[in-house]
Amino acid sequence: MKVRINVIVNGEKHHLEVKPNHTLVDVLREELSLTGTKKGCGSGKCGSCTVLMDGRPVNSCLILAPQADGREVVTIEGLAGREPHPLQKAFAEKGAIQCGYCAPGMILTAKALLDVNPNPQEEEIRFAIAGNLCRCTGYSKTVEAIRSCANSSRNNRPSAGRKAYA
Amino acid sequence: MRIRPFEYYTAINQSDVLDKLAKYGPDTKVVAGGTDLVLAMKRKTILPRVVVSLHKVRELDFVREEDSRVCIGALTRHADLAMNTTLNDNFPILCEAVSLIGSWQIRNVATIGGNLCNASPAADSAPPLLALDARVVIASSEGEDEIPLSSFFTGPGATVLKSNQLLKEIVVERPKTRSAGCYLKLMRKKAGDLSLVGVAFQAETDQAGEKLARVAIGLGGVAPTPVRSPETEAMLTGLSYDEAIKEIPEAARAAVRATSPIADIRASADYRRTIVEIYVRRAAEKILGTLFNGEDIQK
Repeated sequence: MKVRINVIVNGEKHHLEVKPNHTLVDVLREELSLTGTKKGCGSGKCGSCTVLMDGRPVNSCLILAPQADGREVVTIEGLAGREPHPLQKAFAEKGAIQCGYCAPGMILTAKALLDVNPNPQEEEIRFAIAGNLCRCTGYSKTVEAIRSCANSSRNNRPSAGRKAYA
Repeated sequence: MRIRPFEYYTAINQSDVLDKLAKYGPDTKVVAGGTDLVLAMKRKTILPRVVVSLHKVRELDFVREEDSRVCIGALTRHADLAMNTTLNDNFPILCEAVSLIGSWQIRNVATIGGNLCNASPAADSAPPLLALDARVVIASSEGEDEIPLSSFFTGPGATVLKSNQLLKEIVVERPKTRSAGCYLKLMRKKAGDLSLVGVAFQAETDQAGEKLARVAIGLGGVAPTPVRSPETEAMLTGLSYDEAIKEIPEAARAAVRATSPIADIRASADYRRTIVEIYVRRAAEKILGTLFNGEDIQK
């Protein structure tokens, strides 16, 4: 049994026939060859499969393929224009990458955070990326990289903690 | 982790869901956010023959104010609940609890109806809703029924829902006087963990603002279902600030008697009991301070 879906991936419309027992990450990697989205734990814990669905970070390993019907999905491949996205540059410049496996998901979560909260404080960044695990190193450089992309990195307003977004 | 094949349908609205539930019978599962169900299907602990997706049933994604009550659609996602102005104004305890569920990625798809129907004893939305005396509306093709949330859970992973029924909305009465509440959650790590213990403490003052007119405590992770602690509630209700402060240590000890925790790989039963006492005491002290000493007062 296959299900027809319409999904926009990185701005491009796709009409696909998907197996309902596949998840969104399977469709992205196997049908669309978008292997920038990583499949890590497969159980919604590590965040390496994070993509943006209608602008929000989600674990694509827990979304049944047909549930992506009518949605707009952005993967790491869709982030850069001619130039790398500022977050991608910042991750490279600040050394927020070691093996790189968590980076696509981490960067997409960071992008979603900056979209709703252009000037996040450290606590807010850490709360936002709590669902993206890095096993190489710590999170200091990651936080630093995201912070460097904030609108006004010198404006230290008090943190709203997790109330700044959810 | 492969998922075994199943028959799949996308429901287009509520009546379509109910028709399909009636048609396909007991081996049918509805999937909302899917963060629990898809995982269970990967682990082969739930193997449905038919799956009906609710992602196009937009009519059950809402927070609506109706006279003295607030209604929450079962398909409202945790991230939206946490940010909702009406809920933050009336029941910040619920926003606080759901903002601690899973990760941002999970909260962006997981729904409150799914959290309740999954019926984990440690479900974070349950203790605050129990403490708010929430009611749930259950729909089937034969009609609707409204029951207290306290009679919804029947055991770990089990609810009163029959195979042809759908949890449609959650209804909470707005507090009539000054109220405050908080949710304390014990996790093994700072984020993205199930609660070992969840304590929801909600209280209201009398009209004069001098005494506790209502105290309600919801406990998660310490019994086969989320539970209230009627003994502790009765010990504190009717007391003034000074009286209540004196009574808190004894009342917190009493809360342990409402629990029957298990010991598992995550924590011992003794540890869970100890934390219940400590968290009830902390929550009570915090909320009394808020209600009577004027910090962060709601309504």
